[in-house]
Amino acid sequence: MPGAHRRILVVEDDPETAGQLVEQLTTSGYDVDLAANGRDALNQGAARDYAVITIDRMLPDIDGIAVMRQMRDDGIAVPFLIISALGEVDDRVRGLRAGGDDYLVKPFSFVELLARLEALGRRSETVAKETILRVGDLAVDLISRTASRGNRRIPLLPKEFQLLEYLVRNEGRVVSRAMLLQHVWDLHFDPSTNIIDVYVGRVRRKVDDQQAYPLIHTIRGIGYCLRAPG
Amino acid sequence: MLLAKTLRSSTFRLALIAIGTFGLIVSVIFAYVYWSTVSYVRSRSDRAIMTEQANLRDAYARSGRDAVIALIGRRIADKSFADHVYLLVDPTSAVLAGNLSGWPANAADRGWSEFRAPARPPASGDPLVRIMTGTLPNGDRLLVGRDIGDIDDFTAQIRAAGIAVVVLIAVLAASASIGVTRRTVGRIESINATSRAIMFSGLDQRIPLRGSHDEWDRVAENLNQMLDRIETLMGEVKQASDNIAHDVRTPLTRMRGRLEKAYHRPRNGENDAALIGDTIADLDTVLAMFASITRISEIETRARKDAFRTVNLAEIAGEVVELYDAAAERDTTRLELTGDAEVPLTGDRDLLFDAIANLVDNAIKHGRAGGRVIVTCRNGGGGAVMSVADDGSGIPASQHDHVFKRFYRLEQSRYTPGNGLGLSLVAAVASLHGATIELRDNSPGLLVTLCFHNGPQVAANA
Repeated sequence: MPGAHRRILVVEDDPETAGQLVEQLTTSGYDVDLAANGRDALNQGAARDYAVITIDRMLPDIDGIAVMRQMRDDGIAVPFLIISALGEVDDRVRGLRAGGDDYLVKPFSFVELLARLEALGRRSETVAKETILRVGDLAVDLISRTASRGNRRIPLLPKEFQLLEYLVRNEGRVVSRAMLLQHVWDLHFDPSTNIIDVYVGRVRRKVDDQQAYPLIHTIRGIGYCLRAPG
Repeated sequence: MLLAKTLRSSTFRLALIAIGTFGLIVSVIFAYVYWSTVSYVRSRSDRAIMTEQANLRDAYARSGRDAVIALIGRRIADKSFADHVYLLVDPTSAVLAGNLSGWPANAADRGWSEFRAPARPPASGDPLVRIMTGTLPNGDRLLVGRDIGDIDDFTAQIRAAGIAVVVLIAVLAASASIGVTRRTVGRIESINATSRAIMFSGLDQRIPLRGSHDEWDRVAENLNQMLDRIETLMGEVKQASDNIAHDVRTPLTRMRGRLEKAYHRPRNGENDAALIGDTIADLDTVLAMFASITRISEIETRARKDAFRTVNLAEIAGEVVELYDAAAERDTTRLELTGDAEVPLTGDRDLLFDAIANLVDNAIKHGRAGGRVIVTCRNGGGGAVMSVADDGSGIPASQHDHVFKRFYRLEQSRYTPGNGLGLSLVAAVASLHGATIELRDNSPGLLVTLCFHNGPQVAANA
């Protein structure tokens, strides 16, 4: 991630949560500004160019969704990550419909937040229009929808291919289970079983078994990361 | 107290409006009857007077003044003309014949008029006489009249009868409406009393029935059934919160014990890291449980019908089967999808996915290792039908009704992973989609069937 654009605006009214977010994001290498209410958020959002804005749904003065709408109306195109204690699916849909780019339900793990911020920040960069994605000796052909390592073809079911493609597109970044469900299965809820782990386990066997080095790594307590060694 | 309530009640006000309207209509009808009767009687009397005038003029035309005088004499002597008055005067107003002493002061020379004639024989009150006057060709003036006091009496009687009837109707209607209102107010009051009792004490009160099977009894019956249902639901809520308390306290107690032990122990990086990791995992379990509970509540409150679209149930089931294929493979279970390729249904994709996923998850978990799980989607007679069958240990028939309750877990599965919310979620999703759930013995194993009764069109309008 280029260091030039790692400034994040955190809109959060609870001082303790805000403090934790600022501290941990700063530790992770972000420059963080804090707004404690909707009015400040509107002012700061207009004054500076941010990579991502995280916004709480329930703010003391203006509703988070209204703040987001206002900024969108003002032509601010920054990605929004909505953070809310209102975890109901309807609410999530309403938030995304109002211009949010991603939605995270409180309480969340900080690793999950980081993973989503990375994904959102990347979206604002230009996405290369390549038809074959490569990581190490893995090649993923987006046209024929096939994958291979070296010159050995990997037999994949359609969903397995989608999952691998998503991991490859996020090469080097942690991808959470919820993100996989959202992007591969278009599911906006957590089935609260280990089904994703079992599924990724099978893809990993197909991709990594009897190879020189593994590509898919488990990140304990959060999800997966695809990266080549070195 | 009851009277004050009666007067304030809307029934009574409605009754008053009805009485007022009815009274007005009756009054108008009586006024019309009165008016037409009076004018009929009067016109008959006037015709009789006109006939007499004509008779006397005929007599004059035939034989002159003497014949007129003679006819007047005969008429006065005739008992059947007792209520008639006659008078013939010459141009100097000298009386020639008749039973009046002189030409009445206010009588017109020609046409109709009325005056009070001195009574014959003198009595209290002079009778009112209606007269018709005219002039004969020789200049004599002729007066013929009739006592209309009787007609006045008659019309007065009709008037009195009319007023009496209107008053009687008003009194009867008022007392009837007070009676009906009191009865209504009484029944409502008993419903109100029960409602207050429920608010102050508890849900065990019921509205007393009168056994009359009228609409009030039906209202009371329905309210009582509603109360029964609420009481059952409250019982279930209590049962569920007891279960939540149990299932949440267990990990919370573990966490508390762990933290307390660590607090009193010297810091040790490795131990602390393991302890924190375990605690986060336990917290995640608790949070996931809350997420499931709120999710089920959300589905049950039916706030999500706006997300309904036409979906292909077989396609959703296919995606679930694909997602769980890896899990089935691990347990060497064969997971298969059969049935129709196109099973249209109006519903919420996410919820249907979640429900089918829960059923498949259960089937794999509680099925036989090395066995089969078959998911079937087909177009049944009344709508889409989806079933999941396994060949595991099944659920005893006596437990079939209980497994849909929140946090209900069979003894045999107490220690397998899960929170006892899966089937309650399936039940909530089914009920939101108007589907029925059936559990059957697959001998061996369990067969769960969801029948969506409404076709896509019907559901779209729902």
